[in-house]
Amino acid sequence: MERNKIISELNEIFEDIIDEGPVSLSDVTTVRDVDGWDSLTNIQVVIAIEKHFHIRFLSEEIVTWKNVGDMIDCIIDRKEVK
Amino acid sequence: MDFQLNQCYKQKYCVTTEVYEHFQECSQDFNPLHTDEEFAHQKGFPEKVMYGNILNAFISHFIGECLPTKNVIIHSQSITFKNPVFMNECLVFEAVVSDLFEAVKAIEFKYKFIKPNGEIAGKGLIQIGVLK
Repeated sequence: MERNKIISELNEIFEDIIDEGPVSLSDVTTVRDVDGWDSLTNIQVVIAIEKHFHIRFLSEEIVTWKNVGDMIDCIIDRKEVK
Repeated sequence: MDFQLNQCYKQKYCVTTEVYEHFQECSQDFNPLHTDEEFAHQKGFPEKVMYGNILNAFISHFIGECLPTKNVIIHSQSITFKNPVFMNECLVFEAVVSDLFEAVKAIEFKYKFIKPNGEIAGKGLIQIGVLK
């Protein structure tokens, strides 16, 4: 799955859940770069991503994510495995 | 997590006078549809209509008291009211685990409240989190 397409879809997911206006994610975006992205909204972000892409993450792997790039790598891995 | 996909829970809830009065006191909603028999008749109902959000209070009880663990918190819940509930009706609440999100320890339930005549009083989705 194309990385740019995933980022575009993630922007929409984040905007819908965080409700803080337009979001422009990149591989290096971290929690600190997005207003309203905290531990509580992160639960909804992860659930929305899982539903949107029809995948499931493991708790062990999401705690290793350092930025959006790691999240996207994980999405791509999951989509390829399916 | 102590939950499995498609696991089903059932619980009986009755809208008694006590429940009605406590909810009215809590909500301070005295809309005539809920308090005035004559008004309810004029609007096409056989008697005054119970507060729909009493069903949300029942959901609160279900999540807080009826699950295999007390380590839970409600993330969100939705409800669509399908048919009115009247005084002293007892409803069967059925909730099925419709989705599990292991990575963030969250569970979704699809639920419905069934009236004595088999009609659906309300239905929706509940998402809860399991606390560490």
